[in-house]
Amino acid sequence: MNRNQVIKIGLVFAAPLIIYFLIFFIYPIYLLFKYSFTSASGAFSFINFENMIRDPILYDSLINTLYYFIGSVAVQFSAGFIAAVILNSYTGRLKNAFRSILYIPLTISPIVIALMWLIIFNPTYGPVDYMLDMNLNWLGSMNLAMPTIILANAWEYIPFVFLIIYAGLQSVPKQYYEAASIDGMSRFQTFRYITLPSIRPIMIIAFLLNSIGILQGFTLVYVLTNGGPGFSTYILSFYIYKVAFTYFNLNYASALSLLFLVIIGIYVYAILKLSSVEKYLGIKK
Amino acid sequence: MDNGGSEGIMSEVIVENVTKKFGNFVALDNVNLTIKPKEFFVLLGPSGSGKTTLLRLIAGLEDITEGSIYIGGKKVNDVPPKDRNVAMVFQNYALYPHFNVFDNIALTLKVRGYSKDAIKSRVSEIAKILHIEDILNKKPRELSGGQQQRVALARALVREPSVFLLDEPLSNLDAKLRVEARSFLRSLQKEVGVTTVFVTHDQSEAMALATTIAVLDKGIIKQVGDPYELYTKPKDIFTAGFIGSPAMNMIPGKLVKDGSSWRFVSEDFSVQLINTEFENEYDVILGIRPEHITLVKDDGINAKINNVEPMGAVTYLDIQVGSVELTVQYTGLIKLEAGMEIKVKFVEEKMLFYDRKTEKLLNV
Amino acid sequence: MKKLDAFLLILLIIFSFFALFPIYWTVITALKVNSEIFTIPPVFFPTKITFSNFYTPGTTFGEVSQTAFGSFPWLINSTIIALASSLIGTFVIGAPAAYALTRYLKNVWFARLILFMMMIPEAAFIIPFYVIITKLNMINTWWGLILVYISFTAPLSTWLLMGFFSDIPKSVEEAASIDGLSAFSTFYKIALPMVIPGIMVSIILNFINAWNEFIYALVLTYTPFPTGAQTVPLYLTDFIVIEKSFAWGGLAAAGVIVMLPSIILGIYAQKYLVKGWTMGAVKE
Ligand SMILES: Nc1ncnc2c1ncn2[C@@H]1O[C@H](COP(=O)(O)OP(=O)(O)O)[C@@H](O)[C@H]1O
Ligand SMILES: [Mg+2]
Repeated sequence: MNRNQVIKIGLVFAAPLIIYFLIFFIYPIYLLFKYSFTSASGAFSFINFENMIRDPILYDSLINTLYYFIGSVAVQFSAGFIAAVILNSYTGRLKNAFRSILYIPLTISPIVIALMWLIIFNPTYGPVDYMLDMNLNWLGSMNLAMPTIILANAWEYIPFVFLIIYAGLQSVPKQYYEAASIDGMSRFQTFRYITLPSIRPIMIIAFLLNSIGILQGFTLVYVLTNGGPGFSTYILSFYIYKVAFTYFNLNYASALSLLFLVIIGIYVYAILKLSSVEKYLGIKK
Repeated sequence: MDNGGSEGIMSEVIVENVTKKFGNFVALDNVNLTIKPKEFFVLLGPSGSGKTTLLRLIAGLEDITEGSIYIGGKKVNDVPPKDRNVAMVFQNYALYPHFNVFDNIALTLKVRGYSKDAIKSRVSEIAKILHIEDILNKKPRELSGGQQQRVALARALVREPSVFLLDEPLSNLDAKLRVEARSFLRSLQKEVGVTTVFVTHDQSEAMALATTIAVLDKGIIKQVGDPYELYTKPKDIFTAGFIGSPAMNMIPGKLVKDGSSWRFVSEDFSVQLINTEFENEYDVILGIRPEHITLVKDDGINAKINNVEPMGAVTYLDIQVGSVELTVQYTGLIKLEAGMEIKVKFVEEKMLFYDRKTEKLLNV
Repeated sequence: MKKLDAFLLILLIIFSFFALFPIYWTVITALKVNSEIFTIPPVFFPTKITFSNFYTPGTTFGEVSQTAFGSFPWLINSTIIALASSLIGTFVIGAPAAYALTRYLKNVWFARLILFMMMIPEAAFIIPFYVIITKLNMINTWWGLILVYISFTAPLSTWLLMGFFSDIPKSVEEAASIDGLSAFSTFYKIALPMVIPGIMVSIILNFINAWNEFIYALVLTYTPFPTGAQTVPLYLTDFIVIEKSFAWGGLAAAGVIVMLPSIILGIYAQKYLVKGWTMGAVKE
């Protein structure tokens, strides 16, 4: 087979994806551009982008999104990592049982998690305030609402980081550890010089994929706080929804969507450039 | 097996000026070969020399960069593998893991539109030849290496291909099975009578199986010939060193005209040549096989024994002659020990001289 | 060693407690009688178990009521939409595309494109999807949601299966081409059966993701079966909004019904999940 035949057959196999991609990815992006540059009167205009600059809620949303994102990554990644290291060091019989248990939250719908949180964090009848012997209005307080959202979200996605990093730890060949012990390395040195470098690629992959999950966050805000109190839990995705379907300003919401896409595009591109994640994933030599 | 009326089975394969590049890397460099009908043709060369690549070109799994390949007189450069009527046994066998043995063998007949009955009878026929009748219901992973290899052979042979291609099919077997499989393959090929191209890096396997051997090194065909020719008259240093085990001894030196006769002079000794003539004085490498060095009482080259390796039928001696170490093969057992001083002589008509610059054989 | 293990065991139990407690609390709330739900201090071990939060005589389908049984019409929609978008994403789009990308179109940019498709946050596309589905006259229909859900099932399937396809030895497919199979029968008869574990993970993960999806369903549907395509997460939000203050038992019961399938499927797929997610970079 020559190159042209190879490409032809490949394109036939990929045809359903390509067609879908054109209608449900390219066309939507075209629509976003079209609406973004349309004013309320229907004329071509930059007004939506000009409005962005003067929009204090957008400003709040961006700050909140950053807060939400960094907080989520920090909590999820460190907790997932620690859990994985602990389970990996544990040599008891229940290893696999713990692995399954710690993984379960990942499968649960965000909407169910929202429901759980409403019941559990209820200031009057909830068990959390009772156990902490406090009376905190978790979701109703300016300072606590966002951390509560971050925690609820973390409860679901810590298992994701945990699962991938744990698998990575398990895949480090035993001989490395045996060699290290023969070389007289301490437990900490082994971890520092053997384990960490071995799982570096997997940590980066986990980080990248984890980011995707975090960026999807919307449901928890919608159900738990509806953006409040005040604008304290407005994140960009929620704000887009609000502008589009509460204020029915599709043009401005489109401009916000484009902004969101650009931010994410830059973020992903930066990760791909700064790390060798594509190499690790085998999609690039 | 019934092969009457099957024209394909008599096919000749011609490889004409074939070059294969991967990017800038030249994997095969202007290869020319003619593989005659019914021949057992072996491609021999070290790992990375391009054997698999050449086989895949014949099968149609890779594109030819330059040149042409003909099968049965027809140019096949643009013919896809499925229409070349070649069969191939892969190094790892490449059996279909989700099919049982019967379906593995039958698939090719099914897609070629054979009737159910025809498929059944042919599969059982080939299964009988290969002694796999009682494993037809098993999945590949339930089979031993030897059984998998037979299934792969059966799959390849069931539809009477024009050309039968095998890529190191024995290398995954253990030593004993490998020797058994050799003689089995040889007789199977005779029985079926199909043109066969067999790839191996193992020279003893090549010698045991081939009617013709092509030696390949770094994408270049070094020599084509029958096993006898290759063993007795390797045309260059590479082939000389590659064929034969233990390997041919190589001694650097000079050919010097000494009056009317010639003399081979090395750093440590010199040998008078009586029956050999040359055009010029050359810097050469003398090649001499271990069995062509004999032990003599007197009037020989002084040597010291480094090591004695009695094998039973033969004994190998590692001997030191000045700065070079040579291997000597003595027929039978002999009572010698490391450290002893002996004298040796080279059998003159078996001495091969290679030009050190061109690495080509000078003897005619 | 023993001592360390004991210490790690305690830590693992603490982690497990955090992972399981919310689930435990939801389940017992679903099984509690109201007097044990609304009481201070909270009841950690219910003394009376009741199934009346799941069903009481007189509950009608299709109403956001005090028992979970009413969610049946939403569950029907969820099942059909999740199943269809998962299967289409896996078989019609994902598997052939993944095969193409690992065997024929080995270009980084294609792989990047898949990654990009997975990265797109749902919120950024609600407007165009709303416009397109409206134009197609598919608002509040199964097909409307299915088509939109494929936007995440298809890239995920492609991504997962690329890892599985690149793991199978190419020589098996070459053997098939020599045996006389066309590129397409090689795919269907040889390559596809060899990645069945990948197909299973893909179907299950897609199903879970579609089953759990919220924002598109919120925007694109507005009534339950049989008049519309609202899925069960919307039943829960309606429940939360309407019954927030007093029907925790029924709400928790509905929550149990929604999370049960995804937990079971998720545990079943767990074995192959990591390999799939990391495109085979980590093998278990
Ligand atoms: N698809 C390929 N792309 C790039 N280089 C290749 C490819 N296939 C083979 N080569 C190179 O061509 C040379 C010959 O390979 P091969 O034919 O497999 O050798 P052999 O079978 O004799 O061991 C090797 O150096 C190998 O690295
Ligand atoms: Mg090879």
